[in-house]
Amino acid sequence: MLKGKGIPIFITFLVGMIMIISFFIPHKPFGDIEKISLNWYSIIAGFTMLLGVDSLIGMHFRKVKRKDENWFFSLVLIFGFVATVVVGIVETVRFGTAFDDKSYFTYIYNYFIVPLQATMFSLLAFFIASAAYRAFRARNFDATLLLITAIIVMLGRVPLGEQISPYLPKFTEWIMQVPQMAAKRGIGLGISLGALGVSIRIILGIERSYLS
Amino acid sequence: MLKKILLLIFLVFSVSLFSQGNDSIIFLENQNPFLDFKLTGSDIPNDGGGGIQINWCFPDSLGNWFLTVLRRDDSNNIMVVATDLLVSSMQVRDVSSDEEPSRVKDNSNYYYTGILSKNMISEEFLNRLISNGSGYSKNGVYIFGNDTFYVTGETDPIVSKSSWFNLSRIPVLVSLIIIAFVFLYYLNLAKSGKDLYIRKINGLDAVEEAVGRSTEMGKPIMYILGIGYVTDIPTIAGLTILGRVAKKVADYETRILVPSYDPVVMTTAQEVVKEAFTEAGRPDLYNKNDIMYITQDQFGYAAGVDGMMMREKPGAVFLQGLFFAESLILAETGHSIGAIQISGTTETAQLPFFVAACDYTLIGEEMMAASVYLQKEPMMLGSIAAEDLLKVFIMFLIITGFVLSVLGYGLKIEVLKNVFDWLIKLLQV
Amino acid sequence: MAVSTNFWIWIAALLTLAIYSFLYKDNPFYKFAEYLLVGISIGYGISVYWHNTIITKVFNPLVYDKNFLVLIPLILGLLMFSRFFKNVAYLSRIPIAFVVGAGTGLSVPSSFEFLFKQIYATMPLKLDIGSLIIVVGVISTLVYFFFSLEHKGFVGEVSKAGITFIMVAFGAAFGYTIMARVSLFIGRIQFLLSDWLGIIK
Repeated sequence: MLKGKGIPIFITFLVGMIMIISFFIPHKPFGDIEKISLNWYSIIAGFTMLLGVDSLIGMHFRKVKRKDENWFFSLVLIFGFVATVVVGIVETVRFGTAFDDKSYFTYIYNYFIVPLQATMFSLLAFFIASAAYRAFRARNFDATLLLITAIIVMLGRVPLGEQISPYLPKFTEWIMQVPQMAAKRGIGLGISLGALGVSIRIILGIERSYLS
Repeated sequence: MLKKILLLIFLVFSVSLFSQGNDSIIFLENQNPFLDFKLTGSDIPNDGGGGIQINWCFPDSLGNWFLTVLRRDDSNNIMVVATDLLVSSMQVRDVSSDEEPSRVKDNSNYYYTGILSKNMISEEFLNRLISNGSGYSKNGVYIFGNDTFYVTGETDPIVSKSSWFNLSRIPVLVSLIIIAFVFLYYLNLAKSGKDLYIRKINGLDAVEEAVGRSTEMGKPIMYILGIGYVTDIPTIAGLTILGRVAKKVADYETRILVPSYDPVVMTTAQEVVKEAFTEAGRPDLYNKNDIMYITQDQFGYAAGVDGMMMREKPGAVFLQGLFFAESLILAETGHSIGAIQISGTTETAQLPFFVAACDYTLIGEEMMAASVYLQKEPMMLGSIAAEDLLKVFIMFLIITGFVLSVLGYGLKIEVLKNVFDWLIKLLQV
Repeated sequence: MAVSTNFWIWIAALLTLAIYSFLYKDNPFYKFAEYLLVGISIGYGISVYWHNTIITKVFNPLVYDKNFLVLIPLILGLLMFSRFFKNVAYLSRIPIAFVVGAGTGLSVPSSFEFLFKQIYATMPLKLDIGSLIIVVGVISTLVYFFFSLEHKGFVGEVSKAGITFIMVAFGAAFGYTIMARVSLFIGRIQFLLSDWLGIIK
């Protein structure tokens, strides 16, 4: 019986209903249910993380073993993973917590992870330019409208815009406050209705593709 | 020698006497000019308990004075609720928090007093005043150093209670019930076999083409679910679309790669794809290792997926789920390898980038309706029709609001003005 | 100022350049930085999870606070491991069903709150041309999202107006973000030129 979809669908229904009802009941334990369930999610995710690591490290381990293309880089990945975990354990023993200011674990975070993250993030400066260029070449009404508004708003927010015309920053403000806000609200209303639809389809078991 | 010792004792004695005399507390009885200043307290309604709110009214002359609030319980323990509140703030809440979970206990009596002062209260005075429990005088006046402190009378016992129903959420409950009926009506309608229509959604008609073209070129499909968790609706919607796309992938006998950000999302995606392949009659094609974990680091994930795109060169890239800043990094890389890209998200801040960089973009609700569009089962179509009816209702509400506002505030028709105000109040949840 | 002699700054700088090399094309330097970031970040993630989840949310409540409610997510988490064994793998559906139920259940009331807020914000609290445009914009955008009607005739026209509003909004958001992204790039260049090479102060 457990092998069928019946029990999981019932669990989804039951948990979903409890969550909805608890919105109206401030009394314990219902009042804290959102906090509790997010807490539980992170516990479940914490255990599932091992499945993730098994998936990722396993894949790269196989690549190294088979000497696939790029196997050397897979080795780098495994090395990075193992080294970080080992440093984490050693520094926990040394300082009581790996997150100590003087621990090498913190160094790894500050000098490997942070610059890599920041640089990946800054790639957007180039990608945003190439995306804008593409919109410029698209030559259809929607893309042109998008691009023109983008240029106006961009200029309206820098000192150059003020020099071109003192009305430009004001017009930008108006675009943000009126047409932009209108569409954003319309999309927002659609999203909340859509989210209701998705939730109801899943809670009632109409949509069950997430279970095999 | 004895003389010297005596002199020293005298000196120490006089100094200590002098210093104590300088900051001793002087108590004046029956001289409080602010006897009308009273605190009132009540249980905070509609909460889970552990909260009392204290209010006061004040004469204009006290507007920029300070108020310190003390709490006493039945065993005469004194606690400082808050120090140096501006009198003009008129309210303070005494609430249990995560840091102090049992600050205010439900169903016990609490009594509140305030201390008015022109300047901020001295910590030493406060400590000394409450050092011997509740022995300080209510309605008394204390002078300490250069400052005068006026203690107010004590409130009646106030009890904090936990509510079983949040009355302020009645409008939500009522609309929830109405909406549940609308959905049930349409689901029944669908069950009884009535044909329900769904309009064309451009991006979704391209799914077949995208999967087909990839297969022809011998390239895999890549499906990116973004950086949401399984508790996020866009991620759930993305997973349901994945189910439909995976089924087409199985029909075409090609590969689908799903790099994931969250391990629970990965596990769920594996279930989804496995189910889809089984439904398509090709469980043999399912490969668990194609739905892999990358990392829970936002830009680490972006870097990993970018690299995977460059090396696997998928012919079609789906970006469906919750995306933040990494959206454009992924979409531009996908474009640079010449893949057909179909994106969709509910993040309005990221949609412009998808629109600019992808071939097709599902905007907000389109993405959430996508799984229905790809499957077109009557029950699912019923839920979409219900969403549409609610849209009509919302439009009606907005137009009514606008008309009421024009007539009520523009043309000053009192009745309609009141109706408008009532409507506004109803909407404030 | 001179070139940095700090070993760690050199590492950060070289990794920064390795990532930027991706802009030219995929190459071994980028691959190195990419695989390293993924490896290190997952190692870091495991440590954070260990600290925040296993210790703070499971071990401490269970051992010190005797909070046995934690056993529920603990068991659900352990059920995920059933995936390692083929004949009991179906048990992992239980935690999945649980989190999906929690996610969808929580979203119902929060969608309602959001819905109410959006309608409230659309109500014309002051009467001017802006309020009228907002009402028209919201309604036409909503019409664009109509699924059970064909977008032809009047509905088609209104829906077209809706997509126009949407495109203006997207353009505005696009333009609004450009400078923020450029400043991120400037930040990295500053790091390279000042912290690493010491060319500028």
